[in-house]
Amino acid sequence: MRTVLTVAGVAVSTAMLADMLMLGGGIQQSFGELLESRGYELRVSPKGTLPFDTEATIPGWGTLRDSVEGVVGVGRVAPVLAMSVSAELEGGEAGGSGDVTRTLGLGLDAGNRSLYEVVEGDGPGVGEVLVDARLAEALEVGPGSRMRLGIASEFGTWGRSASVRVSGTGDFVFATARDMPVAMPLADLQALSGKEDEVSFAMIRVGADADPEAVRAGIAGVADRVEVVTLAGISDKLDERLSYFRQVAVILGSVSLFVAALLIGTITAVSVSERLGVIAAVRAIGVARRRVVGDLAAESVVLATVGGGIGIGLAVVVAGYLETILAGLPGLPVAVRFFVLRPESLATAYGLVIVSGGVAGLVPAMRATGREVTELLHREEP
Amino acid sequence: MSIIVTARDVTRDYQRGRTRVRALRGATVEVRRGDFLAVTGPSGSGKSTLLHLLGGVDVATSGEVSFLGEDLGRLSVEARAALRLREVGLVFQRFHLLPMLTAIENVELPLAAARVPRRERRDRAAAVLERVGLADRLRHRPSQLSGGQCQRVAIARALANDPALVLADEPTGELDRATSRRVLTLFQELNASGTTLVVATHDLELAAGATRRIEVVDGSTRP
Repeated sequence: MRTVLTVAGVAVSTAMLADMLMLGGGIQQSFGELLESRGYELRVSPKGTLPFDTEATIPGWGTLRDSVEGVVGVGRVAPVLAMSVSAELEGGEAGGSGDVTRTLGLGLDAGNRSLYEVVEGDGPGVGEVLVDARLAEALEVGPGSRMRLGIASEFGTWGRSASVRVSGTGDFVFATARDMPVAMPLADLQALSGKEDEVSFAMIRVGADADPEAVRAGIAGVADRVEVVTLAGISDKLDERLSYFRQVAVILGSVSLFVAALLIGTITAVSVSERLGVIAAVRAIGVARRRVVGDLAAESVVLATVGGGIGIGLAVVVAGYLETILAGLPGLPVAVRFFVLRPESLATAYGLVIVSGGVAGLVPAMRATGREVTELLHREEP
Repeated sequence: MSIIVTARDVTRDYQRGRTRVRALRGATVEVRRGDFLAVTGPSGSGKSTLLHLLGGVDVATSGEVSFLGEDLGRLSVEARAALRLREVGLVFQRFHLLPMLTAIENVELPLAAARVPRRERRDRAAAVLERVGLADRLRHRPSQLSGGQCQRVAIARALANDPALVLADEPTGELDRATSRRVLTLFQELNASGTTLVVATHDLELAAGATRRIEVVDGSTRP
């Protein structure tokens, strides 16, 4: 029974350790993969910010764009204007609630579909908008519906508004649980917001043979009032911001490993103390000490291997459950995963538990077999 | 008959806390091939200590113990362990069988430690268990055996490596009278077939069944 309980304890500790290892690097990896999947190697954003960080914009974009496009190695430039917008279903056959919804509006160059995948209908043309599929479902709109868009703030809708046709629905790759964006032509959103020559950030695709770092330096040389970062740079900045997660993961992971070792060490110590007579007898027979120690440590390794194996399976299940809870965390894209199932994380957790279990078992085994055989025999024999 | 082990004027002191206890004082004994020697004496007289010294489990504080011509006091811990594995069989009062192993696996233990090939050790273990009358109990675990059967497995384990000397410390101490008699009969049969035995015992019937007897009193041997 106590062996079963120990195996269960080791399994839980291993699961926690594996989950913490997955959590420790999961977001960075997942976010990095998401960024790379868009096919743009550089980002240009207002000084001191990252894309989607703030509502700050880059003024004088027309001139800056010309400068950026003139840098050697720059392939394609894809500007994005991101503004809070209000969306309201216009009356008509489509019906709807008529409620005003505040959401994120994305202004993109014609043909730039890097921030969304079309689910139904088509991308937005002039006077059109592509609506997040979740928002479309909530507002009961679809291709052909008409909506009224305005610029939203904390205090309500202000300025101009425009009637637009819904061209289609889509999944936005950087959408958070709360933000269900709409995409429209850049010029339309600029006109609506009155920021005719401004963008929030731009994505830069470098040429086939160009070095992203060299291109980044080139752009930084001609545009000193913006932040130019590579994907690696964004990952590094994200890494800094998520250091809290990593620290928590390291601490909890270490505690889990310690608990697993403690469990195995304790049961080995108890088991060894109950078998001192047999250990003494086996050594008296002439079995070498290292062999006895090896056999006892092997029992610990078996415990760690079985418990750890179960724990790895448990880790996968728990990670899936925790992922569903954390997916709703505000401010992070829904597509970003907290727990990335990486074989190396699972292998590391499993290996650490087995090694620490073996070492934890080794200590009582060494202590027991290090005692004088005659002393143990005197104790164990009446 | 050739001499297997001799102890000459040996003493053995133990430290018990701050007190130094002399368990043996000037004990002398000689064991020849084919002996069945009973070592008797009251509890705490030093019988077990003498057995441990004769088998190289322990070393004397002073005096000399010579096993097949080798001074055990000059051997390292590892060398003495190797010698015990090869030349000495040990039987304990409480059997000390490994509970998770079957009878045959317990008997195989010293053979495995001596790196006897798997198939050979299985055959030898089965043969020695048959010799002690347990041919039909090979796959039984200690918990499935009676006390007498457990002690016979322990005797089989002691015989597994065909040792020059078998040392038994109170082998009937945990057994009833009838079972003790069967163990004595087994020892006599083993001795008759050439096994050299030294048995420390309180059991007068067992001692009387031996071919030779010495008494240990207050750490000293008396013929």
